[in-house]
Amino acid sequence: GKLLVVPMDGSHWFTMQMVVEKLLPKGHEVVVVVPEVSWQLGKPLNFTVKTYSVSHTQEDLNREFKFFIDSQWKTQQESGVLPLLTSPAQGFFELLFSHCRSLFKDKKLVEYLKQSSFDAVFLDPFDVCGLTVAKYFSLPSVVFSRGIFCHYLEEGSQCPSPPSYVPRPILKLTDTMTFKERVWNLLSYMGEHAFCPSFFKTATDIASEVLQTPVTMTDLFSPVSVWLLRTDFTLELPRPVMPNVIHIGGINCHQRKPVSKEFEAYVNASGEHGIVVFSLGSMVSEIPEKKAMEIAEALGRIPQTLLWRYTGTRPSNLAKNTILVKWLPQNDLLGHPKARAFITHSGSHGIYEGICNGVPMVMMPLFGDQMDNAKRMETRGAGVTLNVLEMTADDLENALKTVINNKSYKENIMRLSSLHKDRPIEPLDLAVFWVEYVMRHKGAPHLRPAAHDLTWYQYHSLDVIGFLLAIVLTVVFIVYKSCAYGCRKCFGGKGRVKKSHKSKTH
Amino acid sequence: GRLLVVPMDGSHWFTMQMIVEKLSHRGHEVVVVIPEVSWHMGKSLNFTVKLLLVLNTLEDLNYHFKFFAHNQWKTQEVGMFSLLKHSGKGFFELLFSHCRSLFKDKKLVEYLKQSSFDAVFLDPFDVCGLILAKYFSLPSVVFSGGIFCHYLDEGAQCPSPPSYVPRILSKFTDTMTFKERVWNHLSYMKERAFCPYFFKTAVEIASEVLQTPVTMRDLFSPVSIWMFRTDFVLEFPRPMMPNMVYIGGINCHQGKPLSKEFEAYVNASGEHGIVVFSLGSMVSEIPEKKAMEIAEALGRIPQTLLWRYTGTRPSNLAKNTILVKWLPQNDLLGHPKARAFITHSGSHGIYEGICNGVPMVMMPLFGDQMDNAKRMETRGAGVTLNVLEMTADDLENALKTVINNKSYKENIMRLSSLHKDRPIEPLDLAVFWVEYVMRHKGAPHLRPAAHDLTWYQYHSLDVIGFLLAIVLTVVFIVYKSCAYGCRKCFGGKGRVKKSHKSKTH
Repeated sequence: GKLLVVPMDGSHWFTMQMVVEKLLPKGHEVVVVVPEVSWQLGKPLNFTVKTYSVSHTQEDLNREFKFFIDSQWKTQQESGVLPLLTSPAQGFFELLFSHCRSLFKDKKLVEYLKQSSFDAVFLDPFDVCGLTVAKYFSLPSVVFSRGIFCHYLEEGSQCPSPPSYVPRPILKLTDTMTFKERVWNLLSYMGEHAFCPSFFKTATDIASEVLQTPVTMTDLFSPVSVWLLRTDFTLELPRPVMPNVIHIGGINCHQRKPVSKEFEAYVNASGEHGIVVFSLGSMVSEIPEKKAMEIAEALGRIPQTLLWRYTGTRPSNLAKNTILVKWLPQNDLLGHPKARAFITHSGSHGIYEGICNGVPMVMMPLFGDQMDNAKRMETRGAGVTLNVLEMTADDLENALKTVINNKSYKENIMRLSSLHKDRPIEPLDLAVFWVEYVMRHKGAPHLRPAAHDLTWYQYHSLDVIGFLLAIVLTVVFIVYKSCAYGCRKCFGGKGRVKKSHKSKTH
Repeated sequence: GRLLVVPMDGSHWFTMQMIVEKLSHRGHEVVVVIPEVSWHMGKSLNFTVKLLLVLNTLEDLNYHFKFFAHNQWKTQEVGMFSLLKHSGKGFFELLFSHCRSLFKDKKLVEYLKQSSFDAVFLDPFDVCGLILAKYFSLPSVVFSGGIFCHYLDEGAQCPSPPSYVPRILSKFTDTMTFKERVWNHLSYMKERAFCPYFFKTAVEIASEVLQTPVTMRDLFSPVSIWMFRTDFVLEFPRPMMPNMVYIGGINCHQGKPLSKEFEAYVNASGEHGIVVFSLGSMVSEIPEKKAMEIAEALGRIPQTLLWRYTGTRPSNLAKNTILVKWLPQNDLLGHPKARAFITHSGSHGIYEGICNGVPMVMMPLFGDQMDNAKRMETRGAGVTLNVLEMTADDLENALKTVINNKSYKENIMRLSSLHKDRPIEPLDLAVFWVEYVMRHKGAPHLRPAAHDLTWYQYHSLDVIGFLLAIVLTVVFIVYKSCAYGCRKCFGGKGRVKKSHKSKTH
């Protein structure tokens, strides 16, 4: 079949690419649409890539993202989705959303896509463009994402999430909440309904322009055939799901390969203390100098060998046990029996590599879902979370010593690891299956709940409850009135007599 | 590992047995506890079977079920309540009583205690498996077609908005008119009100055994994994929980070649092909008048009829109808000459029909059969008949419709291809999850935190109340201070006037 892929830049693409590459040998014709300016999407690929020109340069992209990241080291975002609106990320998102306008300006590309008659669209909904493309060409779509911002998973898949035990994203809450936390959770849920449409305004404006009819985010999300979520219930908290929501967490977790000679040497030299792997992900290139110095100091105080993936300036106080590298084979190092701990920004890829290889974690979440990931691992006793803004060298040192020396962390992460890897089918195969399923059957209408066709008050049966209440009240009213009437008949005679009597005496 | 199996009699056991046999093959030690009196479970099995002395005889069991089944030919009972309250009551009481017998057998209980099982694999129909699991504090895997009443909602904390999820046995679809939604909502409320009463005997036995008062919810809520013999080709899409597994079509195999006897029948049918007719293993006898009408209708179509029927032979049986005591249903349906399938629409039959892509004429009698029939009809893959009201003409027309109208064949073929397109075979999936629970001693990480909330917490009523209270307080204060402010500004004159007035008085 023919598959159109609309990916998202950055680390999102790593796992999506795995699925796309697995689809190729099965004989599918794959066309990937990417902006000409990007971090990861431009790399040579062995399938058809269609680029479209965008109005900004690579520098613009880097600058906006750096502005956002740098701000995370200064003031951590308040928890919740609301601050997103005023956050330094806004500029970055506007840039992303604008891609879609560029795509649809490229008439030749649009014409080509129209002519190609694809079976389905495989998309990352992060920049919304994939959803717009799917709607524009009326193609069935498969969404691939870690999670969905705001309440659009609930609206788009009609999946219930009672705010009493399902924490809203980016709130750092667990599934067991105090009364106060439940109040915040509900408020944040209401806040999402109120403010998210304005956060996605640029995206919906572009979509409305392209589709030539006013659309909302719900309109864009609701035709989705299958949702592939890069998570599972060892990381995520159990909650209601829908039949077309498939969890494929750990898709990036492979059998480890032997490490290269360079790293093998480092690992062997570490002796009985073993190694600690340290990476803040591909998106964070620079840490503010003061912070970097503190981190370097803490790392120097533990006996393990540190392998730190860092592309910024070398901190001057770097200790001997710390080796700075531009890149490291993260999964292979974590899979090494000598790996003692993993310092991570707790992006979902890193977290799953940690779970998969059973390495306890020290987590320094910076933005987005990282806070939630860290909170969930901490709740399960498999790691320690640090606040990057407030942490001192002592904090980091203590956290590292705790996860390395306290046996319970290792035990917990090993238990999670065995639960995670115990599954009837590999996540990658599952993802490939569902993409092909949607291509084969031109969507999955039989998995689409009838709830999509109900209004909100119908969905919550408010009309039915109102109707039943009206009946009950009417019956009560009639019974009351007839009783009153009956009473008047029985005892009223005297009353009337008295009254008339009174009026007479007047 | 060691697995305790508490099955339910009747057709329920057929598919459960497939899973248990596969588990046994994989080297698990399996102990099955069954009452010594049963229809199907006594058959020779290649795993340990613990028989259980019960008070009733096979005649009692047959009597009660027959009473129930016969009643279905007289007055159709729609909805949960008529089924539970009326003719089915005696049968259910008998089933529930098995559990008391089980726990009276001290030797058996002691043996089970000593065995230290890893998990219980149970059919919740007669509730006894749930009581056993709770009594021995073992993680449990439930195997069922569907859960009666609202106990799935409560036991799994699975939301089922009554606005588009039809209640069980209601015969509604997922697209309901306002009137239907009102009825659906009412039956949801009725379940909450009356189901505890229906399960009273079972709950009493449980309270006795566990020596503490329990409710059905207490029995259902520790369940680790819920396995349902359905999938979303038959069932309407609805919210589910992470610990629910759908294994519909587990009984659907590749058709085997037919025996000589049946091969001969099929070959003799010529271009018209055959129609398979079976009302399941539980219905042995059809009232004579009904049987005559059916036989008449069957005589009017050109196909060869293969009718599995153990009752008296109707006198007007036509030449094209062959009465057999048993037939290889799946193999016959899988034969290219199969044109239609007349079924009572039990879930096994329905899935064999879907699997082999044979359009159906459905005569639902009781339980989930009504719902199954409704679902297939909605999808345009069959025609439902009301067994009480149908005439020979109705049956004839229904048969001719599904055989001659191409759309029925197309729809069932589409459903068949959707059904068979799955990442893993249902039998393997079922085996995986039973083993999973055995390996990990349950699945606590799949248990939603909703179990620990009260109903008003779950619906956030306390939070909403609190927020409303704040809003009202603020409104009240603002109003009062405005009022005060107004009085300050404009009130001076007023008071002056007043005092003036009082002076003049």
